[in-house]
Amino acid sequence: MGDIWNGLVQALKLIVRLDPYVMKITLFTLYVCAIATAAGMLMGIPLGAALAVYRFRGRKLLVTLVNAGMGLPPVVVGLFVYMFLKRRGPLGFLGWLYTPRAIILAEIVLAMPLIAGITMAALQNVDPKLRMQARSLGASEAGSVLTLLRESRLSLLAAVIAGFGGIISEVGAAMMVGGNLLVNGEPYTRTLTTATVLEVSKGNSEQAIALGIILLGMTLLLVWVMTLIQQGTLLSHPARVARHLFSRRRGGAAA
Amino acid sequence: MSAFLSVAGLRHFYQGRKVLDVESLEVMEGEILAVVGPNGSGKSTLLRIINLLERPSSGDISFWDGSRLSSMGRGERRGLSRQMAMIFQEPLLFKRSVRANVEYGLKARGVKKEERRRMADEMLVRMDLSRFADRAAATLSGGEAQKTALARAMVLRPRLLLLDEPLVSLDAPSRKDMLAYISGLVREMGVTALYVSHDYHEVLEIADRLAVLIDGRLLQTGTPGEVFAKPAADVVAEFLGAENLLEGKVAESREGVARLEVAGVEMEALCELPPGSRVKVLIHPEEVALLPGEMEAGSVRNRLRAQVTEVRAQGALVKVGLDCGFPLVAYITRDSREEMGIDAGAVITAAVKATAIHVMPFST
Repeated sequence: MGDIWNGLVQALKLIVRLDPYVMKITLFTLYVCAIATAAGMLMGIPLGAALAVYRFRGRKLLVTLVNAGMGLPPVVVGLFVYMFLKRRGPLGFLGWLYTPRAIILAEIVLAMPLIAGITMAALQNVDPKLRMQARSLGASEAGSVLTLLRESRLSLLAAVIAGFGGIISEVGAAMMVGGNLLVNGEPYTRTLTTATVLEVSKGNSEQAIALGIILLGMTLLLVWVMTLIQQGTLLSHPARVARHLFSRRRGGAAA
Repeated sequence: MSAFLSVAGLRHFYQGRKVLDVESLEVMEGEILAVVGPNGSGKSTLLRIINLLERPSSGDISFWDGSRLSSMGRGERRGLSRQMAMIFQEPLLFKRSVRANVEYGLKARGVKKEERRRMADEMLVRMDLSRFADRAAATLSGGEAQKTALARAMVLRPRLLLLDEPLVSLDAPSRKDMLAYISGLVREMGVTALYVSHDYHEVLEIADRLAVLIDGRLLQTGTPGEVFAKPAADVVAEFLGAENLLEGKVAESREGVARLEVAGVEMEALCELPPGSRVKVLIHPEEVALLPGEMEAGSVRNRLRAQVTEVRAQGALVKVGLDCGFPLVAYITRDSREEMGIDAGAVITAAVKATAIHVMPFST
């Protein structure tokens, strides 16, 4: 218990002090996850939509691959990306191994199938006649698919949350292709998860717990914001959210 | 007047099974043509093909603007499809506000925001839906939702409105309401409409013409009066719920008048079929006159000795079941029933004019 308590205190101190090392790792983690999630959405949503709406040759194979991809062990993904990016590997000429790009690439491979798979399942749940209705009201082919995506926007956000949550919390791939490096004493490919592993292995459990708590807090905060968006309260009724927060605080003060 | 839309030699297969085989169908400008037939007869497929949502296996359609399905470019297709709107069984509203639903097609057509809103609001007022404008479409009742779907289609001012069983998902009062809005708007805006239904009752009030589609084949088109009086085939008569559909044979035929044998009873009817033909005979129950007193069998043409087997009050009328050698149903008023003392077991005379007997070739 003492460790956890000390870790909490330490974490608060690090946050309040805006400790440069921790800040850098935190921002780097956010940066990697944001780019990988965005890229995963850009590829995964259209792929999931196409798999849900159209019938074409090779569709079954793709569906199987996407479904399998949703359960990929991060360590295995890391290993594959490593094999591709290592100097003698097929993509070795890029020189990406042990750079942030390698981590982003691995995280995209992890996030994309999650986003594609959940998008596909979501669109398959929408009445296919709805697309016909959209078309008969004059929507273009692409417009009708966009309408379906909009119809299942709640599930799409679930897809994004799943993709983001999957990669911000994984350590195996980031460690294997990023290397958890410091360059000139500055964190270079160090994420919150890889840093935590390092601190634990150094026996530095207070620091590890502090990093873990920051990771946890950040994940909860981001998921909470996305949930508010998903449930439609943040975007459509910002005033209601504000009032809700305000009244709760006031209630607390009264008690 | 040339046809607004005409279908020629249209055939469509699903997985090798022929679901649609329409040799020819013409729709006139401004009319409401009801396509009726049992479920699974290909009606919805026909609508989807006309709405350009599906390509037929073969055949052609010519449209009001002179374009033809067989030689249509992509742009032309798009332009034409935007002159049509379709309403399905379910309202199929989008998860947005009622107003946003009504604006959907206008948005797809690139109508400016203020204009879109003005047009949508105008249509919502016309449909008595304006109090729902800002509500989420998902919170509407079934009737309101289907009215919203109608508003969403009509705000586009389509040249051709396609309705695929628009009342099926509604309860009785909403049906009546919806039907009144459909016919009101269609007439007011001079839209041509194709109305598909498995229940001919619902369209009799509003349809200018009926097209009967059974097993993918168009068996008859005509005004409701024509189709009911002279169904083109026994399956059409059966679908329309005809009573007194009997089997018979042409015994003799001269100058369009034939002597028929129906269950051993001789009858005279108008018929061009050659002697020996097996036929189906339709005697409209409202054309059967009942006369008091027993008739001597066979003395006057089409006067039959009839024994009353059943008397059943049906609202203002009384349905009388008779045995004339074959079962026959007649409808009379309550008053004439009392005057003539018609009760089960009574023997009376049933008279049918030769022109009231409709003879069809035997097809099944």
